[in-house]
Amino acid sequence: MNTPAVSVRELVKYFGDLRVFDCISFDVDQSSLTTIVGFSGCGKTTLLNVLAGIEPLTSGSAEVGSGKDRTARLGYVFQTPRLLPWLTIEQNLMFIRPDDVDEVTHRQRSLHYLEMVGLKGVEHKFPYQLSGGMQQRAGLARALCIEPAVLLMDEPFSHLDEITAAGMREEMLRIWQETRRTILFVTHDIQEAIELGDRLIMLDYHGHIFDDIQIPLPRPRSFTDPAFMDIYANVMRSLLRMQAERAEELQVTPVK
Amino acid sequence: MSLALDTPAMPARPPWNQRIAQNLKDLVFNRRWLAFVLFLAVWQAFSLRMAGVGLVPSPQKTISTIWEVLANGLFFEHLADSMVRLLAGFLLAMLLGVIVGVLMGSRPFWDEFFKDLVILGLSLPGLIYALLSVVIFGVKLIAPVMAILLASYPFIAVNIREGVRALDKDLLDMTRAYKVGRWRVVRQVILPALLPFILAAIRIGFTIAWKASVLTEVFGASSGVGYMIRISFQLFAVRGILAWSLLFGGVMLLIEYGILLPAERYFARWRPKVKQVI
Amino acid sequence: MTSNVGSVSVDLRAPWAARVLQSLKTSLLSPRWLAILIILVAWQVYATIRVSRLVPTPLKVAITTWDVLASGLFFEHLAASLVRILLGFALAMLVGTAVGVLMGSRRSWDEFFKDFVILGLALPGLIYALLSVMFFGISLLAPLVAILFTSYPFVAVNISEGVKALDKDLLDMSHAYRVGRWRVVRQVILPSLLPFILAAIRNGFAIAWKVCTLVEVFGAIRGVGYMIRASFDSYSVHGILAWALLFGGVMLAIEYGCMVPAERYFGRWRPKVKQVI
Repeated sequence: MNTPAVSVRELVKYFGDLRVFDCISFDVDQSSLTTIVGFSGCGKTTLLNVLAGIEPLTSGSAEVGSGKDRTARLGYVFQTPRLLPWLTIEQNLMFIRPDDVDEVTHRQRSLHYLEMVGLKGVEHKFPYQLSGGMQQRAGLARALCIEPAVLLMDEPFSHLDEITAAGMREEMLRIWQETRRTILFVTHDIQEAIELGDRLIMLDYHGHIFDDIQIPLPRPRSFTDPAFMDIYANVMRSLLRMQAERAEELQVTPVK
Repeated sequence: MSLALDTPAMPARPPWNQRIAQNLKDLVFNRRWLAFVLFLAVWQAFSLRMAGVGLVPSPQKTISTIWEVLANGLFFEHLADSMVRLLAGFLLAMLLGVIVGVLMGSRPFWDEFFKDLVILGLSLPGLIYALLSVVIFGVKLIAPVMAILLASYPFIAVNIREGVRALDKDLLDMTRAYKVGRWRVVRQVILPALLPFILAAIRIGFTIAWKASVLTEVFGASSGVGYMIRISFQLFAVRGILAWSLLFGGVMLLIEYGILLPAERYFARWRPKVKQVI
Repeated sequence: MTSNVGSVSVDLRAPWAARVLQSLKTSLLSPRWLAILIILVAWQVYATIRVSRLVPTPLKVAITTWDVLASGLFFEHLAASLVRILLGFALAMLVGTAVGVLMGSRRSWDEFFKDFVILGLALPGLIYALLSVMFFGISLLAPLVAILFTSYPFVAVNISEGVKALDKDLLDMSHAYRVGRWRVVRQVILPSLLPFILAAIRNGFAIAWKVCTLVEVFGAIRGVGYMIRASFDSYSVHGILAWALLFGGVMLAIEYGCMVPAERYFGRWRPKVKQVI
């Protein structure tokens, strides 16, 4: 119970000459909801990709689940739904069935989670027949139906309109409280981050963890709550500091 | 906390001798050259192996034949004959194709009317048009002209039709709202919009035209590139066929890729890029 | 009011009768029939005016077509041609797919094959036909080689487009969810490639039968192209037309009867896009 759900140790990642992460380390507790924020291009998505195994890391380690359990299941909700357009919604969920789960059980779970995200009855439709919000919800159901240890989410609501996004956030919190999965949630929206997470990790431009803030507020959280605004102000101050330092460097670096 | 020291330094420019070595390596290992050299090598090997049978001329022999044909003016003489037929037929095909295309594009009635004819025209191989023309019209000029006309006009018509259908109704309504004169509308709204389609039609129509033209000459002509190809075939002269095909094909490809395609791209540069297959 | 169609009484007031009559009326008066009518009339007029053995009337062509069909001659030569076409096309698919996959996956292969493909697409089938006949004589090899060289570039281009269009996002997603390799090939890669494979088949087949006919015209003793050549040599326009129309009909039937429905069936998950023809 005390082993962290996600464990990153001295992770270094280069894209050719470009350094994305410089020896970062952090742990994520079981059943927690941690958000990762930072400016565009600072490597938030890359961090998730490395955890998911899509991107190779240069050195260090980034593991999901305890060290022995390398094949711990994780779910990934992308910015775009990434559903296979030639399969129905149900077939899309069946597509990722893990080897150690039989078809019948997996199908039951798929239908269960589809209902949980509010998509009961559309399992025989093709993605193009669903709205953007519904497709994204299907992506969420897909991530949940394998009952993963950790759920990675990469700005999943950023392409939705505000009303749909707000609804999705609410649902996500409800599902999280029901299922108690560990969630790692990347976003560029500070308000969303504070509204959702127990903890906020801020990445800077050099692949370091600039700040790591705990958010002990009780849920449901409201933007108008003074405690919320306090934390919001703290985070914004941090961000502005990060931006100022960056501006300074850009002036200091000699132009060749 | 980090300062400038952390930003990756710019790689230094390698010394000039290293750069030359790199450029040479790129040239030698350039895939297209590699493919070409490989092709020549295989060809040479084949020709040596079949040297006894005399069936496969070596690359050098082919080049010398090409040179001969060019040098004694034979090529230009027959090329001129072929070009006359090609242009005559192609111009007529453009005329018919544009008319049919405009009609098909503007009214559903004409679209339905010509639809089967066009589909038939697109599907029948140029061979059929060539053979029919030669039988009916003999060796006269009208034979290749008819063949080119029938083989090529459907392609032109289809492209023009697409262009007409793509005319932006909103723009035309706007010109009506501003009472813009008809001539000006044609010149500054309709023609520029149609231009990319017209050029595509020209390019595709031209491709079909010269192939149909050569085919007609092969079966029934007493001069021209196709005629020379037939003679080579009857004399079992592979060198001849290769030489005449490569020369004529070269000229045609030059026109297509050197003039028509750049023109099409130039006049279509205001369009958002749509993927071209070829 | 009733009308007698054969021995059956048809009540013309019945709604279904009215519908049938209406659709018959519209289709008969449709521009397509009009066009065919005009062509036939003009043809008949021209043939009658220009009384020449070389210009047959539509009727003569129809009779010849029927003869060729009824005497079994058509099927005999069609079979010979089809064997060559299908074999040659199968070879072209094999080579074309291999080249296309290579070209689509790596830039280096794309560069390597680019000129061969362009040349294959641009040179007229005539050249390949003539050379094949000269090299291989009157044999099965001649049409096979000619079809291979003219058809494979069309297949390669389409397949390479398909490979280039493989959605990396979907492949990453499959990787993130640790989906087994075989399942990824079956459910991500193949469905994604399918429209391109079908386009390759359509384009490749269209050129295959045209080149095969060409080869048969120059060097064969059986087959549709051979019969067309025979008609040509005896100045028989009705012969050429009969064989061309019959053969063209069969080819069109294959294209529009098999391939288009196949494309439609396999593409039913797609939002509907406008078709040109």
